[in-house]
Amino acid sequence: MHNMLSQAITQISQHIIGKESQIKLALSCLLANGHLLIEDLPGMGKTSLSHALAQVLGLNFSRIQFTSDLLPADVLGVTIFDNQQQQFCFHQGPIFSQLVLADEINRASPKTQSALLEAMEEKQVSLDGKTYQLPKPFFVIATQNPTHQSGTYPLPESQLDRFLMRIQLGFPSLEAEKRILQQSTVQDKPLKAVMTVEELEKIQQSVNDIHVSENIIDYLLRLVTLSRESTDYPNSLSPRASKALLHASKAWALIEDRDYVIPEDIQAVFTPIAEHRLRHSIGDIGNSSTLSQQLLQQVDALI
Amino acid sequence: MKQARKSVSSVNNKAHLALSFSLFVIGASLFQQVQGWILFLLTCGVSMRVALYFKWNRNLLSIRTLNLLALLCAIVLAYVGIELGLLLAMINLLVMASALKLMLLRTNRDYFQLVATSLFLCACGLIFQQGIAVSLFYYVMAMSILWSLAMHVSPSLSLSFQLKTLLKLFTQALPIGAMLFLILPQIEPLWRMPTGKGTETGLSETVTPGDIAELSKSDDLAFRATFQSDIPQIRERYWRAIVLEKFDGRTWSIHPNRLRFRQRLKFARQPKPVIPVGPAWEYEVIAEPSNQQWLFSLDTAQSNSSQIWQSHTYQLIKNQPLQSRFKYLVESYPEAPLNNALNYFDIQLNKELPEQFNPRTREWVRKLREKHPDNTAFITAVLTYFRDDFRYTLKPELMVAHPVDELLFDHKAGFCSHYASAFAYIMRLVGIPARMVTGYHGGVLEEAGYMSVRQYDAHAWTEIWLDDQGWQRVDPTAVVSPERIAFGLQQAVAYEESFTADAPFGLVQLRDLAWLNNLRQTFEDIDYLWSRWVLGFDRSSQQDLFKNLLGEVTPQRLSYLSLSVLFIMGVLLSIYNYKAWWPQNNNTPIKQYLRGVSYLNKWGITREQWQGPNDTLVLVNQKCPDNVQQRFGVLTKLFIALEYQKSPASKEQLQALRLEVKKLKALAK
Repeated sequence: MHNMLSQAITQISQHIIGKESQIKLALSCLLANGHLLIEDLPGMGKTSLSHALAQVLGLNFSRIQFTSDLLPADVLGVTIFDNQQQQFCFHQGPIFSQLVLADEINRASPKTQSALLEAMEEKQVSLDGKTYQLPKPFFVIATQNPTHQSGTYPLPESQLDRFLMRIQLGFPSLEAEKRILQQSTVQDKPLKAVMTVEELEKIQQSVNDIHVSENIIDYLLRLVTLSRESTDYPNSLSPRASKALLHASKAWALIEDRDYVIPEDIQAVFTPIAEHRLRHSIGDIGNSSTLSQQLLQQVDALI
Repeated sequence: MKQARKSVSSVNNKAHLALSFSLFVIGASLFQQVQGWILFLLTCGVSMRVALYFKWNRNLLSIRTLNLLALLCAIVLAYVGIELGLLLAMINLLVMASALKLMLLRTNRDYFQLVATSLFLCACGLIFQQGIAVSLFYYVMAMSILWSLAMHVSPSLSLSFQLKTLLKLFTQALPIGAMLFLILPQIEPLWRMPTGKGTETGLSETVTPGDIAELSKSDDLAFRATFQSDIPQIRERYWRAIVLEKFDGRTWSIHPNRLRFRQRLKFARQPKPVIPVGPAWEYEVIAEPSNQQWLFSLDTAQSNSSQIWQSHTYQLIKNQPLQSRFKYLVESYPEAPLNNALNYFDIQLNKELPEQFNPRTREWVRKLREKHPDNTAFITAVLTYFRDDFRYTLKPELMVAHPVDELLFDHKAGFCSHYASAFAYIMRLVGIPARMVTGYHGGVLEEAGYMSVRQYDAHAWTEIWLDDQGWQRVDPTAVVSPERIAFGLQQAVAYEESFTADAPFGLVQLRDLAWLNNLRQTFEDIDYLWSRWVLGFDRSSQQDLFKNLLGEVTPQRLSYLSLSVLFIMGVLLSIYNYKAWWPQNNNTPIKQYLRGVSYLNKWGITREQWQGPNDTLVLVNQKCPDNVQQRFGVLTKLFIALEYQKSPASKEQLQALRLEVKKLKALAK
């Protein structure tokens, strides 16, 4: 099982060079059955990462480019009258895929954003009184431009909370960039799927079996409690956040080939999970990971 | 400081509500001491807080208004305070101040001040009453104040949890408190409580026959006695309290010369010594507060207490009036004659005759004396006269002009003080020194083993001086109504409805309701035990306790005792707090691991608190020599296996971890 995961990581890192930890985070997010928000400047490889993930995990993939005039129907699908059959029939929108890339989600109007986010939460689409199930597994990877760029509608905190993780790719190192430039031809070659959908579901199941000792739970509680008690943090971590932390750290432990969680696992997934929940204003999307780092440093990992 | 100034709102603030109510109840319990207008002020303060709590009103009085109010109140209190006396004025001031503070209450500091004041008021309440019910009441009030404090400090905890914690703490404090109560030195008070203005109850210092009938109807407790020795027969139980030697023809009172004489002796510190003769009755008396100095004892009494003056009229007199219950030990020698150290002064005092009143008696006595020139025969003749056609009653006619004449020749009915007065007067007429003694007679032995004497047991009798025998007790009432002496007052006046008729729910009338009587008796028994063992615990009881515990009281043994008590208290405290005080079990994997990490200091590695085990290992691999890296690698692996893996930690693994830690320590050296 770990074999498959490490293969997947190797495959993707051929494509996205020098971003191994982000790849692992994205993977653990998907293993923990959560949605992923990638936040960065245009051209940093956000789309490539999600593309590579879909290919390697053997998921069917669709991409929605969000623009300011995008309507909910463009995402979910429409019911139109079929002249031949003399009845209304539903045409599925791009959201009916196992992995959906919602590109530049904060460029669409809030109405469209919330249509997508509702579908993410419910894993189904309700239209004209009918409910359509979304395929399984169902992941959304959304990308977001920094809000100071023009033409953006920032996501409110309540909707940010729907994303299990928020990661940033960041500029590649010089060395990595050199390799990117050298290998530009290789990139076009499609990636091989390393697992089937059934295998993926099995791996997701096995995340639940990762052992979490009481000590780890206590550590997690100390972190969460400090965020609630201290006045340094504008928003405190909800029980949903602590559940997410636990689940993601299990997935991380699985990727690290362990059947138990150690404090480092929690620390590894802490910033992507906690930072966007701790932050105050929506306009404050930057590279900062200070709040979560500060919180981590204030808590003793071993008591 | 910042915390203290932090302002708090009363809206939905349970702590404020609870404190207001506690303060109100405590204030109300002091209604006898505190002026009505101050209680009204307190009620206003409480209703303000209630209104704030339920959001009927959100406006506080402005501080300027309150200052004005406080100024006015202070002026009024200063005006009335002069009449109240220091103690009451101070208590009034305290209640007034807390009422005003309740109106002011805005910040944490105000709240804490109010809590402290309320607790102090609780203690003040115990100045006036110390019964078991009152003590329990103030305990409950103190608890409710502390409860309010708990609500203030941790408002998010549930009320029942706070109450549970409080009760737990209270229970834990109980043995320590009891031990300190028993063992702490009973120091004489550093300051004496200012004397309050109490109304005197019990026996009167002047007797105009007719007074004691009033007393007889009250079933209030006068005192209780517990006998360590045999219990004397009822006909011997004459409890002496006051000796009245001045008679003006109508009223008996304490002779002013006697008072002066006593002052002089007291100044010279010459108490009346009692020469023990024959067997003794030993008993302990707990006197109810009467605001008088008289104590009660059987003849001839002796007490060793430093607070008691043994007078030359065989009384026991307390140095200060009895403001609260007073316990004292007495030895009585019934066979000791009352004749020692009598002097000319005594005889002169008791021969004084009023110049006027009662002409018929004088005439009758003169005739009788001619018939019986011998003293003994004369006394017998007078007593025979009394026996033949006199009647004992609690409803005598008014005898105002010539009381003795009217009793002897017109009405021929009266009660103890009538007869005692008449008999003493007759004796003085023929030159035999005589005086009236008032006190109590009888008493009921309760099932709990103590004897209770009530106000209706009040009695008056006569003492005459016979040259060869000294002072002799003669009780003419016993001649008139032998039942009164043999069985008590109720038997003597069984045919009269007057007895306690004025008090419809008096104890005597409730005798018929057995269960009620039992209940009341039980309460009285508990109250007795309380006053005897808790309130009456003084230096001598403490000395007895030490003697029982130690055998012989030496400084060395005393210091052992105090050390062992300190030790027991230490043990108790550590049992209560061991979770907080004791270091947690040292043998957990984390403790071992952290100890191992601490040895890394030698290579300049200090673990930041957030670092997990692998982070530390990485650090070690960067900075330490190979052998340390290897050791620490093993150590970390063991630790992770023990602490985080699914399989339960085995003893062997823990042992291995300890071994690794030791090896690392050796390397560090």
